[in-house]
Amino acid sequence: MFGEKVIELLKESERNRETLDQYNDEKIRQIIEEMHVLFKLNMNDANATTENKSLWTTVQVRHSALERNKRCLLAYLYNRMNKIKILRWEFGSVLPPDIRELLSDAEYDWFSKYSTNLATYMRSLGQDIGYNGIDLTENLRPPKSLNIEVLCLVDYGKLELEDGDVIMLKKNSTHFLPTSECQTLIRQGILKQIT
Amino acid sequence: MFVEDIKNDFYNTLLGNRVLLLVHYDVDAVCTCKILQDLFKCDNILYTLVPVGGISDLKTAYEENNEEIKFVVLVNCGGTIDLVDILQPDEDVIFFVLDSHKPTDICNVYSDGQVRLVYKDDEENIPNFDDIFRDDEDEEEADENLQGADRLEAMVERRRDRKAWEERRHTLMFNYTQFSYYGKPSSCVALELAVRASRNNAAALWAGAVGCAAHSALYLRPPAQCLLDAEPLNRCLNAQSHSTTAHVVVEKDAWLPLYRWWSVEGALSHASFFTPKLKLHASSGASRLRQLLADMGFPLQQARQAYRSMDVELRRCLLSALETAAPKHKLPIPTRPTFLLHKPHSPPMAALDAVYAIMALIEHETLPKAVGFQKALSALQVNGENEPLKVGITAARRSLEAVARLAHSTLSSRGLLLAGPFNYFIVQEGTSEAGLVRGPLWLGEAARWIATATSGARPILASAPLPDGQCLLLGLPPRYDQEPRNLFGAAFEQAAQKSGISVVLDYVDTSVIVLPTSQRTQFLDALTALLA
Repeated sequence: MFGEKVIELLKESERNRETLDQYNDEKIRQIIEEMHVLFKLNMNDANATTENKSLWTTVQVRHSALERNKRCLLAYLYNRMNKIKILRWEFGSVLPPDIRELLSDAEYDWFSKYSTNLATYMRSLGQDIGYNGIDLTENLRPPKSLNIEVLCLVDYGKLELEDGDVIMLKKNSTHFLPTSECQTLIRQGILKQIT
Repeated sequence: MFVEDIKNDFYNTLLGNRVLLLVHYDVDAVCTCKILQDLFKCDNILYTLVPVGGISDLKTAYEENNEEIKFVVLVNCGGTIDLVDILQPDEDVIFFVLDSHKPTDICNVYSDGQVRLVYKDDEENIPNFDDIFRDDEDEEEADENLQGADRLEAMVERRRDRKAWEERRHTLMFNYTQFSYYGKPSSCVALELAVRASRNNAAALWAGAVGCAAHSALYLRPPAQCLLDAEPLNRCLNAQSHSTTAHVVVEKDAWLPLYRWWSVEGALSHASFFTPKLKLHASSGASRLRQLLADMGFPLQQARQAYRSMDVELRRCLLSALETAAPKHKLPIPTRPTFLLHKPHSPPMAALDAVYAIMALIEHETLPKAVGFQKALSALQVNGENEPLKVGITAARRSLEAVARLAHSTLSSRGLLLAGPFNYFIVQEGTSEAGLVRGPLWLGEAARWIATATSGARPILASAPLPDGQCLLLGLPPRYDQEPRNLFGAAFEQAAQKSGISVVLDYVDTSVIVLPTSQRTQFLDALTALLA
C-alpha cells in the first residue's frame, strides 16, 4: 500500500518526542523512490487516458498518496528542525560529536546558519545602552536574583570575575556574587549556596 | 571623621561597589552583619564577608582581600586602632567603621576621609584636634628673621610652650584612653540604617533586639544606657503592624537563660546574675533553691521537667511567682521587659536565649570559629525551621553548665586567689570545663558569676588554658554590673611593658590578652605591683 513507509517514519519519530533520532536516510530514500514510481505511473496513465476516463480515479488516488507522502516528509523535517533549534539554545554553537552524528548534512548546514544568525543578533543587542551584546542563552528562565550568597568550602585562591574584579576565595569566607560566576564552582563543590 | 548622614554618606556611597565586610566574633557583630547583609542583598551590593578574631586576623583578612576593593566596612573591630597605620591601605580605599568598642583611636577620629566612623557617640569625650596635634614647622620659620637676644628669648618661650602643651596632651590622652568600654550596640546603628532605607522587616528588628540583649546580658553597658540604646528599636516595634507572620514584641519575661528550652530548676541554677546569690556551691545551696521553688509554689517534679511539658497553670504564673518569691530570699527580681520573637505555630523565642545560642556557636567546643560564625548568622533567621539555633541552644546549655560547675568548684575549693588589689582564678588544664570555657565570652560569663558570688566589689582576673602552652587572661572591673568601664586594658599593656613578658595584645577588647602559661605568675606579680 502507498504511504506505509512514511507513517512508519513518523511513528518512529513520534516515539521519542523529547530527543533527536538518527536522521533516517535509508527510509527517506525509499519514500522518495516510492514517490518517483507513483509519479511515473501517473504520467503514463495521464498521457494514455486523455480519452479513457475510467483511469482518472486511479490517477487521483495515486496523486493524493504522493501529496500525502510529501506532507509527511515535510512534517518530519520540520519537527527535526525545531528540535535542532532547541539544541542551539541548550548546547551553544558547538555541538557535542555524538549529537552531530545524528544530523544530516543539510540539517547541519541549517544549524550553522541559525547559530550565526543568533550570534549576530545577540551581539547587536543593547549597544545603545553601552553593552557589547547580551547572551540570551544565559538565563532561559528569568533568574530569581542576579546574585547569590555563597560560602567558600576550600582554600581555592583567586578568582577573576567577568568584570575584571579579583576575589580571594578562602575557606569559610562568605561572598555575594553574580549567579553566573558561581554556578561552575558550586558544581565543583568549592562554593556552597547559603540561603 | 564622623559620618553625618548614615544613609547618604555611608550606605549610598556603597551602592554599586564591591564591599569588603570584616566582622568581629561577637554577638552584636553577628547581628549587625545580618542586618547589613540583608540590606546589601536587596540592593545587589556585592560583598565579601570575612569574620576576624583579632588585630592580626584583621590584617591578614585585609591583605588577602584588598584587590580591587575600594570600600571596607568594619563591624565591631578596628575602631580602637590606627587603621591607616596598621593596614597601610592605598589612598583611595575608604574604611567605614561601625565599632561599639571604645575609646575610638584619635587618628581614626581626625582622619581626613579615609577612615569614616559611622556613628558618633555623645558620651565619648574626644579631645579637641588642636590639643592633640600641632604643627611645629611654621613657627620655626616665623622666627628665622628675628635677631640675637630676641631670637633666643623666642626659642625659650617656644620650648616652654611646647613642654606645657605636651604635658597637657599627655594628660588628655591618658584620661581618654585609660578605660576601655563599650558604646551603643552596632546592631542598633545598623537597624537605624535599615529604618532609613525603609527595610525594617522582622528579620532586621530581631537582629537589632538580639544585639541589644547581648549588650545587657553581657554587662557591656550600664543598665540605664541599655534602656536608652533600645529606644530606636522600641520606636520601630510600635510602628510595625501586628501581622500573623513572625514579629518582635516587648513583654515582661523572666531574665533566665534558656528557660523555655530547659526546666525551671535548670534555668534558675544557671543564671549568672541570679544564681550566685543562692550560693549553690555551698552545702546549703541546694536546700535554698528548693526553698525558693517551694515559695514559688512549684513542685519539684514539675520544676525538673522540661518547661514545655510543664503544667500550663504553673507556666502561666511563673513570672508572678518569681516576682513574689525572689525578694523573700533577698534575690534580685528576675523579670524585666525583654524582646520576644513570636512566630506562628511555635513557642516564643526570647532575645536572651538567642544571645546565649550565638555565643555558644561562636565559641563552640568542637566547631571551628568560622563555621560557628556562619551557623550563628543563620541562627538569626526568623522564618522556617531553624536547625542552627537548636544546635546553638544545646551547646549553650552545655556551656552554661560548664560555667556553673567551674564557678562552684572554684568557690568551694577556694580557687579564687587574692592578689593585692584584685582576685583571680585559673581554669585548670585538662578539666572537662576547660574545653568549653576557653573563649573570652564564656570565660567572661564565669568571671561575672564569681564576681556576683563574692559581692563584686573587687576586680577579678580569669585565666583559661589555650593550646601550645598559651593562656587567656581576662579582666573584669569591680562592680561590673553598674559601671562596666574596664581599666585592665591599659593596665595589661603597662604591666607587659614593665615586666618584659611577650604578651599578645591581639584582641579587639583590650581587657583580654594571651600570654605564655609559664610566665603567668610573673605577669600577675607585675600587675599587682602596678595596681597596688
